[in-house]
Amino acid sequence: MVNYIKLIQNENMKIYRRVGTWIMLSFIVLIPILVSLVVLLAGGDDDTTSWPLIMLESYFLFSLIIIFTVVVSSDTVAGEFSRGTIKLLLIRPWSRSAILLSKYIATMMFALFFTIVAFIVTMLINLALFGSTSDSNDLGGIVSTGIVGWGDVLQYYLYQFVTLIIIVTFGFMMSSAFRSSGLAIGLSIGFLFAGNIITGLFAMADKVWVKYVLFMHLDLTSYMDGGTGPIPSHPMTLGFSLGVLAAYFAIFNLISWTVFRKRDITA
Amino acid sequence: MSQAPIVRLQDVTKVIGKRTIIDRVSFEVRPGEVFGFLGPNGSGKTTTIRMMVGLMGLTSGDIHIGGHSIRTDFPKAIVQVGAIVENPEMYKFLTGYQNLLHYARMNSSITKERIQEAIELVGLQDRIHDKVKKYSLGMRQRLGVAQAIMHRPKLLVLDEPTNGLDPAGIRELRDYLRLLARDEGTAVVVSSHMLSEMELMCDRVAILQKGQIIDVRSIRGESGVGSKPTLEEVQFDVDHPDAALGILEGQGSGRISDGLLTLSSDRAGIAAINRRLVEAGINIYGIRVKTKSLEDQFLEMTGSETIG
Ligand SMILES: Nc1ncnc2c1ncn2[C@@H]1O[C@H](COP(=O)(O)OP(=O)(O)OP(=O)(O)O)[C@@H](O)[C@H]1O
Ligand SMILES: [Mg+2]
Repeated sequence: MVNYIKLIQNENMKIYRRVGTWIMLSFIVLIPILVSLVVLLAGGDDDTTSWPLIMLESYFLFSLIIIFTVVVSSDTVAGEFSRGTIKLLLIRPWSRSAILLSKYIATMMFALFFTIVAFIVTMLINLALFGSTSDSNDLGGIVSTGIVGWGDVLQYYLYQFVTLIIIVTFGFMMSSAFRSSGLAIGLSIGFLFAGNIITGLFAMADKVWVKYVLFMHLDLTSYMDGGTGPIPSHPMTLGFSLGVLAAYFAIFNLISWTVFRKRDITA
Repeated sequence: MSQAPIVRLQDVTKVIGKRTIIDRVSFEVRPGEVFGFLGPNGSGKTTTIRMMVGLMGLTSGDIHIGGHSIRTDFPKAIVQVGAIVENPEMYKFLTGYQNLLHYARMNSSITKERIQEAIELVGLQDRIHDKVKKYSLGMRQRLGVAQAIMHRPKLLVLDEPTNGLDPAGIRELRDYLRLLARDEGTAVVVSSHMLSEMELMCDRVAILQKGQIIDVRSIRGESGVGSKPTLEEVQFDVDHPDAALGILEGQGSGRISDGLLTLSSDRAGIAAINRRLVEAGINIYGIRVKTKSLEDQFLEMTGSETIG
């Protein structure tokens, strides 16, 4: 166990000893601060309250964290292949599964770390600048639900984190199956942004299987406030969505591990 | 020679697609032996080494290291191996020391003192805290050797380790490998293009061609220097090569090349030919025995570009 922690420590070293990681982190810290300051200076009057701004910033930060995590995760696997370092990594007394798992854990720790930083910074800056009047005042309609307190924010983060796990797991699979970080990053980010459009297209199809399409379940926040999910024409429950996501999660990981364990290393 | 081999390859075969890249390769390396792997480009040296360290699967056959199969008992087999496969790729954004620490963490037997020892052995102590991206090829190669020996492996597998090293570095590596073999009983497998290098470094050399071992020979033969009963090429510098050739008619295949009478013979044969030529009144200005270097033999066996 102690020895296994060292594997994760190694992966962390490879993530945090890079300048790029700290530049990413500075984005996560600076963006909410700057946005809130701009809102304040642009005449954030007494009507402005923290919660809508917190949601707006969180929404944006989450997209960013997903992108960053996908970049880090594909570098942690595909990057080892393209640099050729995978050879010296795999000739150690550890199974390939153990090594891949250490990479997966380090990636998720990275996502969690960034999410916590995003949460703390957004909360602190907005509460400091605007205080926490619980007056629902939606900002530009981007965040449609009336989020008015800690509970809502935490729920929002939790739902978004589930989405993050799925997309990153998908990127991780692309990265270990195709050993190409470009493909992994491109497809995962495509996933993230095309998700809404695809959801809309599929929603128009009046078929039963639509409910099992991954894209339909990537935005769990539509269940907040008693919503019936992302497709109005196909009401679903949160439990159902989580079930479908769990199935995809299992399939993605199965593919990652199977391919990574069997693959000839020719890098 | 009675010790159990450290590594044993049995009919190792690798088929990729429809091509047989490695074809029933078998050999053993014993403790304290330096074993060379010689072959032209694309003959399968790296592929064999990749299979030995578990990076590539075997289509058939098996490889045992210290009695453990690399296929079924990977961690127990690989823990006894240190290796460099092709280029020593390291994490460029880390320092040399962090790279070594990275590998040391994966093997519980490596202490901080041992890392330091390995660094000094390869002579990198002055630059070990520099980022690897600032290293020269030779320095990376040295770092590669350090990570390979840190855990005192029983088997050291080095794919073209002299690549990028300066003459002093090559010499140090050679001396160090011999020392490891002699004092610690490490079995060493090296592949190299530097044929003359192999002669200096190895006890035995396997010659690989198109995925098959076509010959295994001892470099430090048991027979001792100069007493080999093999036929050598001998050149006689004489005043009338044509006449000499006539005199020696029926004494095997002689020919004239570059104005020299050239034939193959052993030690006793040379003396006899010399006597006959002198008796026939031919003046002999010189006799040269062309000892074939491993390189010549190697090229002869694997064929040069003109033949191949
Ligand atoms: N992944 C692969 N897929 C198909 N063929 C391969 C693959 N890797 C190597 N080969 C083929 O296997 C043969 C042996 O290659 P290998 O790299 O083992 O040769 P080598 O002896 O190390 O050559 P060199 O001296 O150039 O390093 C070559 O013909 C090569 O084309
Ligand atoms: Mg090679």
